[in-house]
Amino acid sequence: MKKLIKLILMISLTFLNPVLAKSNDEIANKISKNIRCLVCQGQSVYDSQSDFAISVRAVIEKKINDGSSEEEIYEYLKSKYGEWISYEPKLNKFTYLLWLLPLILFIFGGLLIFKKVFIRI
Amino acid sequence: MLNQLGYYSLIFGLLFSVLAILQSIRPVVNKSNLISKNIYFSIFLQFLFVILSFTFLTSSFVTSDFSNLTVFNNSHTEKPLFYKISGVWGNHEGSLLLWLLVLTLFILIFVITSKKFDNKYRLLTIFFQEIIIFGFFLFIILTSNPFTYLYPVPSQGLGLNPILQDPALAIHPPILYIGYVGTSLVFSSALASTINKNINSGWAKHIKKWVLTSWIFLTIGIMLGSIWAYYELGWGGFWFWDPVENVSLMPWFCLTALIHTLLVLEKRNQLKNWSIILAISTFSLSMSGTFLVRSGILNSIHTFANDPARGLFILVFLFLLVVSAILIFFLYSKDENKNINWFSKDALIIINNWFMMYFLSVVFIGTVYPIFLEVLANEKISVGPPFYQKLIIPFLIPFLLTMILSTRLRWVKDNIYKINIKQISIFTLMSLLTIYFLNISDKNYLFASILISSSFFLFFNSLNDFLKKNIKLSQKISHLAFSCLILSILLNGIFSSEINTNMKEGDQINFEKKIIKFKTINFEKENNYKLLRGNFELVRPGKNILSFYPEIRVYDQPKISTSEADIKTDLFSDNFIVFSLLNDEGVFNVRYQNKPFMIWIWISSIVLAIGGFFAIVRK
Repeated sequence: MKKLIKLILMISLTFLNPVLAKSNDEIANKISKNIRCLVCQGQSVYDSQSDFAISVRAVIEKKINDGSSEEEIYEYLKSKYGEWISYEPKLNKFTYLLWLLPLILFIFGGLLIFKKVFIRI
Repeated sequence: MLNQLGYYSLIFGLLFSVLAILQSIRPVVNKSNLISKNIYFSIFLQFLFVILSFTFLTSSFVTSDFSNLTVFNNSHTEKPLFYKISGVWGNHEGSLLLWLLVLTLFILIFVITSKKFDNKYRLLTIFFQEIIIFGFFLFIILTSNPFTYLYPVPSQGLGLNPILQDPALAIHPPILYIGYVGTSLVFSSALASTINKNINSGWAKHIKKWVLTSWIFLTIGIMLGSIWAYYELGWGGFWFWDPVENVSLMPWFCLTALIHTLLVLEKRNQLKNWSIILAISTFSLSMSGTFLVRSGILNSIHTFANDPARGLFILVFLFLLVVSAILIFFLYSKDENKNINWFSKDALIIINNWFMMYFLSVVFIGTVYPIFLEVLANEKISVGPPFYQKLIIPFLIPFLLTMILSTRLRWVKDNIYKINIKQISIFTLMSLLTIYFLNISDKNYLFASILISSSFFLFFNSLNDFLKKNIKLSQKISHLAFSCLILSILLNGIFSSEINTNMKEGDQINFEKKIIKFKTINFEKENNYKLLRGNFELVRPGKNILSFYPEIRVYDQPKISTSEADIKTDLFSDNFIVFSLLNDEGVFNVRYQNKPFMIWIWISSIVLAIGGFFAIVRK
């Protein structure tokens, strides 16, 4: 068992190493996957071939080449097209519940299980 | 002619469903609890009329009878026969008729196969199921009649959306619906046994078959949708966390939880109320899924129609069903004595449920929250992949670890020293080491490597379980398949590589020691579309050369162009090329992707479902 685990660990580490370095293209793909194509039916800019998506991809590429960081590009697109364009809603007064409710439910569920099921022991 | 026949068959079906409701509730009310022959007749005739109606609609599609509005909107004479038939359920009206067909078929099967059970339970199940069926009859006849007459009769139809013209998608809806509809029977049966107070291991054994059947079909249905998205819709992705996908995933989580809970109910006569709650929620989720998709609230490719009357009808119907279900539950359910040790298989199954409910709540909140926020605060937000990944992936790690334990513990109570302390400490050490090594770099990969280690851990443990005699075959198969599924999804996500570039005929580019050549482009004409066929070659060091023929299709009816990817699959990875026309003369946008272990995602999903099948056929 011990040997097996060591082996797994080594394999996962060696395989992961080359993946860690990211090229500009990869960053552009990553960003465009997190940006909604506003004229499409539920597709990301990455998945769509519409004119809108093509032009947004061009903007993203240009911004990366100009040296903008990922964060700056998201902010730029959001300021231009609104919060709706980003697939990752920012944590603010409108989205506290969205992000926290599942976690609250998880904790609540855990307490409920503990109280209802295991308490008699 | 076919129109009238189809419509009147529906009306007759409706009448028989009313009859069946009366026939099933009367013996319960006057306490005779006798099941007369007539009720079999009503249920059989109701099914027969729905089949007739469905056949009439299908023949209207096959013969391209454009006096039928549904056929006119969704078909075309030039379409291949296969897609004429799948066009029957490729639209709102027809898909509801299919729902109804499966509903009436299932109640017929239930009536025939449940003879050894208590009469009152059977009558009540029939009663609840017939109410659902009645609701669907009304819904179709009042808001979504597939037999609307069109005059003057047009000579040509509008055609089916070409991206829906696909073999995987042609069979995806029926399979998914069988899964959804199966949950309705679980719902009716759960309510019936709550009133009849026969929630025990016998009931668990009996309803488990229905739960598993729904689960198998739902699993396969989700997978088919995903395969379709992979090669048709999504430029290489297979799961987009699109609201419509989420809607099919939610009942799946619920059913998976229910399968495990029923094991506890069967073995230990525990968790009765929880099983009922799960049964009710599963069906509510399937129904609200239909509501969300059909009402056009969701911004999605699957939405066929935007008609508020339809949405309102389903909403009211669903509301009534859920409220009465909750009322019945509170009126009839009893407090149970829970007697579960925290260190036993029972406890681990509860923990499995806990996680399933958490995953469910993430998906549910992510899907529903933006709709409410827009209505209440007029704020438009998109909830997409990053949200789900951030909330689900970290919880997968403890989830996978509990899964490993589950096969190792016995029912009732086990000795704590049974889990190999060595194993756990080694695992902790391994995780700490991984954290240490990866702390320097991007944090996302920290999670990824711990996750991969945990899924490997589960994978080897599940393999090891095959040697043990005291574990059920179905569990061995499904758990192994699940670990393979998680592993292949993770490895695929991390090791996928791609290039997205612009090329002309004759160009070639280098990418990660591979050469991609754009050799030729041809113009061809098919029956109902024109196409540009590209010929690409992929030269890989030390391996054979692969030729690709991706297409750009321009359909005649309706006028839509699609890009057809060409995918070369082998056991280790998929190579994927898709291209599309840019505005410039002769310049194409070309996307090449290498997706490792892609085929294993599909294989593991199928094996997962096969595990479910073994659970049905083997005791």
